Amino acid sequence: MVAYLARIWRLRYFWTSLVRNDLRNRYRRSVLGIGWSLLHPILMTAVLCAVFCPLFHSDYRQFAPFLLAGLAFWNFLVSTASQGCHCFFQGESYIRQQAAPLAIYPLRTVLGTAIHGLAALAVVLTFTWCIHGFGNVPALVSLIPTLGLMFLLGWAVAMCCGLTNVIFQDTQHLIEVLFQILFYLTPIMYPAKLLAERRTAWLLLYNPLAAFLDLVRVPILDGQLPPWSAYGTALAVVAVLLSVATFALTRLERRLIFHL
Amino acid sequence: MALIELNHVGLTFRVRTHGRITFKEYLIKGMFRRRASSIMEVRALEDINLRMGEGERVGIIGHNGAGKSTLLRVLAGVYQPTAGRRVVVGKIASLFEITLGFELDANGWENIAFRSYFQGETPRTLRDKVAQIAEFSELGDFLNMPLRYYSSGMMVRLAFSIATTIEPEILIVDEVLSAGDLAFQGKARARIEGLLDHARLVVMVSHDLNAISTLCDRAIWLDHGRIREAGPAAQIVAAYEQRAQAAQQQAA
Repeated sequence: MVAYLARIWRLRYFWTSLVRNDLRNRYRRSVLGIGWSLLHPILMTAVLCAVFCPLFHSDYRQFAPFLLAGLAFWNFLVSTASQGCHCFFQGESYIRQQAAPLAIYPLRTVLGTAIHGLAALAVVLTFTWCIHGFGNVPALVSLIPTLGLMFLLGWAVAMCCGLTNVIFQDTQHLIEVLFQILFYLTPIMYPAKLLAERRTAWLLLYNPLAAFLDLVRVPILDGQLPPWSAYGTALAVVAVLLSVATFALTRLERRLIFHL
Repeated sequence: MALIELNHVGLTFRVRTHGRITFKEYLIKGMFRRRASSIMEVRALEDINLRMGEGERVGIIGHNGAGKSTLLRVLAGVYQPTAGRRVVVGKIASLFEITLGFELDANGWENIAFRSYFQGETPRTLRDKVAQIAEFSELGDFLNMPLRYYSSGMMVRLAFSIATTIEPEILIVDEVLSAGDLAFQGKARARIEGLLDHARLVVMVSHDLNAISTLCDRAIWLDHGRIREAGPAAQIVAAYEQRAQAAQQQAA
């Protein structure tokens, strides 16, 4: 394991330069650059605010940052999963050229989407600050370990999706359907409190993704440290996914090329 | 230090006869306890025993489908043998299919960096080599162009320049050199000979028997995934040519 990670580290110039290349390719042709893709959650927030604020009788000054923060995490997760599906095909030309740790290909994917997610987070922070300032700036420091957790989550997700997609060619399609359903089951558009008082509260209790949303929202919107239970759940999810990914990777590391 | 050793190496591919399957198909067929797609076994290599050491130039010959390229990929570590043991000492650089290991949307300079980093170079060690690579490839201003617009000969020039400038201990070359023009082939040949001044190991596949007998000192004749004969290049090439002629006469 340590030796494997050391091999990944030794190739750092390779995958960082590929990530840089991916980002440049994506934004080269657009005037707004990264702005285009940040416009998407902003527009989505604007529309949802216009529709749901009157419906939920909520104030857009509360609702808009709430939504933006939720969408920032969600978009990171979804794009990591769906781009992760292609990571080994994207790296096929290198895999066929020379033996290298396969984990660098999902790493390439997650670094790309993470940079994106950081930009989206910057939008959330700026927006929240403009509307009502931060309740408690030191609480924001808790975002740093959260980002680390999310990076690991993304790496594991990209690895699992990528490996599955090599074996089953319809993985990406199934994953998109799955995330579409999950989107409504996860408190992104509605506050968790709304469900807690109803019979559907278990949906939230057993939805591990809700913990990640808390980790992002609580320090930014409420100015408090996230509850330890959220850290616990998030850590458990990351640990489980990483073990699944590692297990699958060790089983397929030497044979994956025959499936490409 | 450069060494390659194969002990009783075999490689059996398991190929699906209908390509990749979908998860839905897999589930449904699984319910009826039927295999989603039948699997065919192909024995690409069987019982290969080899030992190549420092300063050797080894050529691999054989008919199409004899397992030459598969053997090269096993040597390079891209394919893991399904039987036997492979021992390699030394840093490997390989040239397989032409577009492999290139990012087609990036330009020549960027690809020099990607590929060199992939081989384990760092920005510091690469700094001095970039100019040498560019010069040897003779691509000039084409290096500012995305690789998508390169001809195969231009890609080979670039790939070969990178692979040999970063000074690998072991160089593995599949049939790609023939895509370069005559002038470049001459240059490439000189460089391969030059590599051996530093006691390196070169393994190559070529259908150009003349190139094998002049460039290599040892040859391996593969036939249906097995080593048919191995020995001094000139002798093996002669035996192979004789066999090919006999087959031709038989056909006529």
